[in-house]
Amino acid sequence: MSTEAPQKKPMSMRNFNFLFALTLLALLILLWVILAIATPNFGTPNNIANLLRQGSMIAILAIGQTFVIITAGIDLSVGAIVGFSTVTVAWLLQQGVPVWGAILITLLIGLAIGLFHGFGIVKMGMPPFIMTLATLTSLRGVGLLITNGATINITDTGFTEFSRNSFLGIPNLFWMVILVAVPAYIFLHHTRWGRYLFAVGSNPESARLSGVNVPRMIYIAYSLSAVCAAFVGVLLAARIGIGNATQAEGWELQSIASTVIGGTSLFGAVGSVHGPLIGAFILATINNGANLLNVNSFWQRIITGLLIIVIVFFDQLRRRRQ
Amino acid sequence: MTDPYDAGAPAPQTHAQPHKQAAETEAPILELRGLEKRYGFVQALKRSDLSFRRGEIHAIVGENGAGKSTLIKLLTGVIRRTGGDILWQGEPVGLDTPQEAIDHGINAVHQEVVLCRHLTVAANIFLGDEKVRFGLMQQRAMTREAQRILDDMGFQLPAGEILGNLTIGQQQLVATARASLRGTKFLIFDEPTAYLTRSEAAQLFALIRRLKAEGVTIVYISHRMEEVFELADRVSVLRDGLLVGTRNIGETDETELVAMMINRSLEQIYHKEKIAIGEVLIETKGLSGKGFENVSLSVRRGEIVGLYGLIGAGRSEFALSLFGRNPATSGEIFWKGKPLSITNERQAIEMGIALAPESRRDQGLALNLPIGFNINLPVYDRLSRGPLIDGREEGRLADRQISDLAIKTPSRRVLVSAMSGGNQQKVVIGKWLNHGADLFIFDEPTVGVDVGTKAEIYRLFGDLLKNGAGIILISSYLPEVYEMADTLHVFRTGHLVASRKFHEASHEDILAQAIGV
Repeated sequence: MSTEAPQKKPMSMRNFNFLFALTLLALLILLWVILAIATPNFGTPNNIANLLRQGSMIAILAIGQTFVIITAGIDLSVGAIVGFSTVTVAWLLQQGVPVWGAILITLLIGLAIGLFHGFGIVKMGMPPFIMTLATLTSLRGVGLLITNGATINITDTGFTEFSRNSFLGIPNLFWMVILVAVPAYIFLHHTRWGRYLFAVGSNPESARLSGVNVPRMIYIAYSLSAVCAAFVGVLLAARIGIGNATQAEGWELQSIASTVIGGTSLFGAVGSVHGPLIGAFILATINNGANLLNVNSFWQRIITGLLIIVIVFFDQLRRRRQ
Repeated sequence: MTDPYDAGAPAPQTHAQPHKQAAETEAPILELRGLEKRYGFVQALKRSDLSFRRGEIHAIVGENGAGKSTLIKLLTGVIRRTGGDILWQGEPVGLDTPQEAIDHGINAVHQEVVLCRHLTVAANIFLGDEKVRFGLMQQRAMTREAQRILDDMGFQLPAGEILGNLTIGQQQLVATARASLRGTKFLIFDEPTAYLTRSEAAQLFALIRRLKAEGVTIVYISHRMEEVFELADRVSVLRDGLLVGTRNIGETDETELVAMMINRSLEQIYHKEKIAIGEVLIETKGLSGKGFENVSLSVRRGEIVGLYGLIGAGRSEFALSLFGRNPATSGEIFWKGKPLSITNERQAIEMGIALAPESRRDQGLALNLPIGFNINLPVYDRLSRGPLIDGREEGRLADRQISDLAIKTPSRRVLVSAMSGGNQQKVVIGKWLNHGADLFIFDEPTVGVDVGTKAEIYRLFGDLLKNGAGIILISSYLPEVYEMADTLHVFRTGHLVASRKFHEASHEDILAQAIGV
């Protein structure tokens, strides 16, 4: 077992992260194997594609969330941004804006929301929890105002087809995860900005005295999270073919759960891109499997909560031993 | 050392309750046998034997990082020992949790007040032991009772006041009052007079003597030798985590204790080389800002400028403003002869100023990140090829500092939090050696650092000076600045009150300037 290796001498951070990712991956594969044996339908290509689609959107949210949580912050607004972005993109398409333009404008609005979070936290001194909680509730309100509480239908079939199609046998939505995850991985682990995010999360004063532009890093983290959320909004609008401000209710919590299951510390300075990705698909697998096993959907919520406690508890134990 | 030594104890054992026989009095109340504490590969306390007698005042002295706080934490159950036995009244005990220590009657008054600032004095004294009737707290009765206790102890404190409204010294007395109640038999004081005024200290000493007379064992930890000689019956010396000896107070003197504490001559530690002094690097004229006023001084290449003063005297605030943190509000700064203002840290770093700040934990280090990360933090822009970091170069730079500074670690990937204070300080310094600078500001560079590392740090100063750098050395430890600085500036309440050349003035003169007598 991988847990046996780290003993006596203090383990290096890199080994630790690697082992943790490996354990998570093993857990995910174990879940798949169990479900494949327990249910006849789990292993079908159709279901696998469905599972990948289900997990993809939370996975992208979790990547954005990770940037924020590494700085010891939190972004509660991502679910609301997703809902709001479905409205934005649907409304723009309704107005006859070409698809590429609608997507671009929606992403830019996401960026603006992220910058607004940064502004509130850096300039107004708001706690991230409060700042993003405030936009969570207001954005839903703005979205409902725009549509007057109604739903905007998307008639552009090219746009909606995209989310249902596959490329090389893999659903397009999952390709979008790769499209986000690869640059995110490089950004976080191989650029100085990634290093600075960790430095800010560990000790902002020490980062500042080392010449790191701390406010700029806060702006960057929240902007990335909001843009990821806006992107998910576009994908969701394509998948369900409508724009509706009440969509993606509770996704912020799922994204935080995925991030935390993926080994990110809510105290900051600990986290990766691959961990939250695996975390998101573990959650998706549990939901998918529970459906196939005909487990009451209320139970699914309880199981998800318990799983968070168990995984994070083991993670804490190991960190303490370290 | 088997004979009971009781000189200086005014009326032991006969006072308050005649609760113990004389024979029992000689048996240790608490005995440590081969006590040991290891953190990873760092030995904070090496196999130590020590016994405490009932009703004695036992002083423990030692340098920063000698293991005093480790010992306190072990005795109060805050941390667990990794080896050895603890005997309480002859019985082996675990002392694994703070509650267990308190149940035995072991209490401590910590250097930092650990009470609730938003509650009243009375509420703090009774915290966890509130007077309750019919499920309701008896607020007024508690205040009255607390006031009686405080008056009885000779502390002039209002029991109904909110704790946060008192001075730190008064809060310290409240903590003392709280700790000496509820059947305390063994009371540890950690630098209790650090924040006390003279009259508060006198009140505290009177209480300590009274507790002793009542049969309470007092462990008194202090840097202040005069207090040790005034109060203690016996004194034990810790050095580098090892208990080097215990003396009856009448049979030792300050010289012997200091020699036991440092085990090497001052010249060996404060290794100062003759270095040619060059051009002026930085000069301030009438500089004022948050916490300091009208400061004029200069630093030249090859020179160590010492800033001495009590905590809060404005030295660190002045240095931070030179580094662009809290920029100066008036006055002038000349950098290599050119007037300019320093408005942020990045500007200061680009100009060639480096700051190893006062608090490693709060300012200097990202504790839960690896050593290599910390060392490279200021230079990541240089390590980048295009957008990407050159991983090999990153590793090479970190490893070079680790080997140059002899940082004890198996790898650059180990977290800084797992290291000893001395090694952490080396990481802070290594970070700036890695970056390079003309002016190095070291704020309390040797706090919590063992003697060997101290000597290494001072030697390093010599290397920096030889390479043409200038150094500002800030310290509240007088021997350090006295022996190292070419020019010594004394700060008091935000003002520069005296400037002295190397060894121009006596310790007493400088201390008097700093305190203002």
